[in-house]
Amino acid sequence: MSTQTPTTTEAAAPEPGEAATKKTLGIGFWVCIGWLLVMVFVAVFATRLPIPDPKFNFIEPGQAGPSKGPSTAHWFGTDKDARDVFARTMYGARVSLTVGFIAIVFGMFVGGTLGILAGFFRGWIDRIFSFMFLVLLSFPSLVLAIMLTALLDRKLFTISMILGVLAVAPVGRLARATTMQYAEREFVIAARSLGAKNKRIIVRELLPNVAIPMSALALLGMAVAIVAEGGLAFLGLSVERSITWGGMIQLGSDSSKTLQNQPWIAFFPIGVLFLTVFALNFAGDRVRTYFDVKETSL
Amino acid sequence: MAITLLFAVSALTFGAMNVLGDPLFNILGPIARDTSNPKSVKLIEKAKNDYNLDKPLPIRYGLWISGFVRGDMGVQFSTDGQPPVTELLKERIPRTVTLLILGQLIAVLVSIPWALLSASRADKFVDRLSTATTFMLVALPGFALAIILKYLFAIRLGWFPLTYRALDPLQTRLFQMLLPGFVIGLPAAAIYQRLLRTDLITTLQEDFILMARSKGVSKPRILFKHALRPSMFSFITVVGLTTGALIGGSIVVETVFRIPGIGSTLVEAVLRHDFPVVLAIVMIVATAFVLINLLIDVVYTIIDPRVHR
Amino acid sequence: MGIKERSTQRRRGVAFAAAALSLALIAGACSSDSDTEPVGTTGASTDDTTTVTEVAATPVDGGTLRYGLEADVDGLNPTTSAFSAPGYVMGHAVFDTLARVAEDGSIVPYLAESFTPSADFKSWTVKLRPGIKFHDGADLNADAVVKAFLLQQGAALVGLAVRPFYPETDAAVKIDDLTVQFNQLDANQYWPSALTSQLGMMPSPLWLDAAAADPTLNQKPVGTGPFMFDSRTADNVTRFVKNPSYWNGSVHLDAVEFYPVPDSADLLDLFNNDGLDALHTTDQTAIKDLKDNGTVTNLLDDTAEESFQMINSQNPPFDDVRVRQALAYATPKAKILELIGLGVSRPADQMFTPESPFFNPAVKQDADEPDKALPLVAAYCAEKGTTINPLLNKPTCTDGKVNMEYQFVGPSVVGLRTTEIFEEGWSVAFNITRDEVNQQDHIQQNALGQSNVIGWRQFGAIDPWADSVWLLCRTVGPISLNWPRYCDPARDTLLLDAQNTDDPAKRSENYKALAQNMHDAYTYIFINHTLWTNSFNENVRGTCDIKTLEGVALKCSNAGLTFLDTTWLDQ
Repeated sequence: MSTQTPTTTEAAAPEPGEAATKKTLGIGFWVCIGWLLVMVFVAVFATRLPIPDPKFNFIEPGQAGPSKGPSTAHWFGTDKDARDVFARTMYGARVSLTVGFIAIVFGMFVGGTLGILAGFFRGWIDRIFSFMFLVLLSFPSLVLAIMLTALLDRKLFTISMILGVLAVAPVGRLARATTMQYAEREFVIAARSLGAKNKRIIVRELLPNVAIPMSALALLGMAVAIVAEGGLAFLGLSVERSITWGGMIQLGSDSSKTLQNQPWIAFFPIGVLFLTVFALNFAGDRVRTYFDVKETSL
Repeated sequence: MAITLLFAVSALTFGAMNVLGDPLFNILGPIARDTSNPKSVKLIEKAKNDYNLDKPLPIRYGLWISGFVRGDMGVQFSTDGQPPVTELLKERIPRTVTLLILGQLIAVLVSIPWALLSASRADKFVDRLSTATTFMLVALPGFALAIILKYLFAIRLGWFPLTYRALDPLQTRLFQMLLPGFVIGLPAAAIYQRLLRTDLITTLQEDFILMARSKGVSKPRILFKHALRPSMFSFITVVGLTTGALIGGSIVVETVFRIPGIGSTLVEAVLRHDFPVVLAIVMIVATAFVLINLLIDVVYTIIDPRVHR
Repeated sequence: MGIKERSTQRRRGVAFAAAALSLALIAGACSSDSDTEPVGTTGASTDDTTTVTEVAATPVDGGTLRYGLEADVDGLNPTTSAFSAPGYVMGHAVFDTLARVAEDGSIVPYLAESFTPSADFKSWTVKLRPGIKFHDGADLNADAVVKAFLLQQGAALVGLAVRPFYPETDAAVKIDDLTVQFNQLDANQYWPSALTSQLGMMPSPLWLDAAAADPTLNQKPVGTGPFMFDSRTADNVTRFVKNPSYWNGSVHLDAVEFYPVPDSADLLDLFNNDGLDALHTTDQTAIKDLKDNGTVTNLLDDTAEESFQMINSQNPPFDDVRVRQALAYATPKAKILELIGLGVSRPADQMFTPESPFFNPAVKQDADEPDKALPLVAAYCAEKGTTINPLLNKPTCTDGKVNMEYQFVGPSVVGLRTTEIFEEGWSVAFNITRDEVNQQDHIQQNALGQSNVIGWRQFGAIDPWADSVWLLCRTVGPISLNWPRYCDPARDTLLLDAQNTDDPAKRSENYKALAQNMHDAYTYIFINHTLWTNSFNENVRGTCDIKTLEGVALKCSNAGLTFLDTTWLDQ
């Protein structure tokens, strides 16, 4: 018996709706990239932009309740501690993007390496690595992430690594499948018959071909990591001493009263988180269609 | 294979829990360090004995796993007489299972008509709109969707209750789970819809469909009778695979809607460093995961005799 | 952090919130100061409860009362579980105490018939009422009382608050079948207030034996109280049914159900939409709403608990009073009261409220003066800046600021908000390392002295002598209930003298001096008097009609606790 299930096979054939836009990425793709670039810009230059101090309490004496709705002074309103929600949302991009980026780079590097090695050498290496991927996939990712954060610490790097570990198995399986597919191709066999060493074959012949489907996965994986970080933050388990979207959403929804009376505290960060994840998903999906990557063994 | 996998999962979890934490301290609190007081020492000895802490790690693991397969998942880390882990989970699992079934039911019931509608109007406005909607649903993190639905339907419109109450009669409790069920079901529905739609469009272009159509079979009949069937293979697969992801999603949903299921229990237990509970839940989830995959394999073979694996 | 410390997680952990203060309650804090004058119009007064009594309808039997609590409890055995406010509410449904607080604040016998002190006030003889039976049929007699007391005294955790005051052997001695003699280490003229708390709760001896063998029985309490245990789903509902043969009058309700709802907005929502008949909370926003609701009866009390920041004075740098003082000066108390307290609860300067005869108007909590913190820290750092802070394992000062750890309970939205505000204020003179732990670890590490600064709630015992458990030298030890680990023999003298005089002026003088003494030690930075409400919908009647067998009217609410002996539902 096998736990290796029939794998997800979506869109083996190009979707009819997208046939017309074949081989162009489309305007939607560039809009998404534009949004992502804005978020990256904001995250990098947050301290230099003319936005309010995200930690300052804008207490107005004599006013009932510290939290105010959106206004010209505070575009997204202020939260329960009278802090500017817009500024906090902008600063929140820092943790989300950093975590997403480090996580996926780690996942790509480790998962990609293991996957290519497994797919190339087969045999016991394959069996060990594939088993490892299976073990990792036997935990629902949030369960694994919660368990690890509870046992380790909650520094930015640790959280990124934990989410990176989650990316290892899916990336690894894709890399393995793609490698196996190409390892049988003529150019690889040719290279081998010409006496090329394994290392050379992997680096020169396989890696470039495996990298293409992985790049599409990278954008999707980053989206997954950002959502996972948000989920952890929402449970109060993400990066300490940082402004995070998940944390802001938790603050804005910790009681139904807050949600009812000050919906802006939760809904603005939800909106920005949503747009960012949407942009990553959409762009990733376009890249995948563009390179005609099949989702086998994702 | 599955057995080996579960062994590996359990050994890893057990090891991590015991190496990275101090079980004795988690059970007894400050008393664990109070070795000067004979009363505390007695308690320490008792705890060590009760939880097998004086034995080496591999033996502890052996004892635990042999208990686990016999249905004895140990005792909660507590001196206040919390019920044994098995009792606790016996009470909690049905809620999570109900929630998951409800979620899947909603997902399937929503996605099939939705996909049929989209596929029959491929590339028309309705189809494009629904594709955009699926993208949005997939991009919306579970906790965000939970908050949005709670805000709209429980707080603003007041159609659904805010919390779950274990003492209410069965149908009331099912109703209380409906909104959480949607939170779990809607993103899954989006995934199913995308898959089914693509499949259906492909099938609709095949010869036997064209033939049926030329024979004058009505469109709805074609869709239901002929087109849907071949898509069922991949559909079932995805439904099975998604179940795993939904278990993760239920953690957040149970937290937002305060349903005492195993998801929220896991979070609590992790925070309290209540290892026996964490271990048991992780193992149950992993086992369920593996079993579901096994089940898909079987179902797959039955439905499609061409698959010889 | 005081004002409200609550996790958004619906977890049993939250219950510990109060396990911290529960230890406070062990020592007898389930009520306000017994000698307070009727409190004024400060917004912290007990609302006029005559709305309940004036209706003067005849009680109707039947119905189930649904009571919302701020958290669930770990266990319901008074000899093993430290009771928090929710534990007290549930505990009082099923257990009776030997003594209770009367409406006028005096301590009156309840399960007991009388208390008689010895000439030196070191021993008290408690005589029991005859003929009272536990729910399981066992008799309430001297053996049962001695057993319960000795178990609590010996209990590892709960006993911590008991042992400092009683001899190791013969603390409780059976005299005859209905008489027990309690022996103490110190003379105490006000001792019976101890019997109104967890220590005075009487569990069935048969059940205690059974629970020792099978700890799951700790979830299924057996006492003499107006209600008997029925069923319990942890974190969701605990149900008790009417005790048909209650010894102190007939019980009207068929059953009570306790629902822990940690989200106070949900709690309020359930209450307003007929999902609950009663609730208790310390949530400022909820209290505001409840006070504005004309049909609700609110029993408010802010005399029974203080919120403060607490400093462990054992280790460098906080072994130096200058650093503690600097922390107080840098504390953004006004901001915390505004943002977290929402102006609902009263600011505190000491452990007594202004209405208390022990209140010392001269004592003002230093805070909100960061400028004064700087020279103190500068002086300290110049002198001892290279000493090691053992908790952080680094020098006490870096770049002219003191390095400290701040421990708080998480994950909790309010905890985090509070921490951020304190941290911002303190950061003028301190580098803060955060330590976010769960409630259990929080209490434990603190008991072991593994903290620098933490937020805490306690004090406000029925009689201030019981608060000495937090303040005496003898409660400093490897496991300390004197959390700041601050020993001052002069303070001990003030405390022990105050409990051994019948002269009100002398008592008052001593406790006023105590407030000054505590201020000068800078181990507590008082923030506010925690405001509790117990609120009832208009169909709930009779809650404040409880009397002893002799007809003495009893105080019906304290620090989130009410009794349901005489409550009935007007259907």
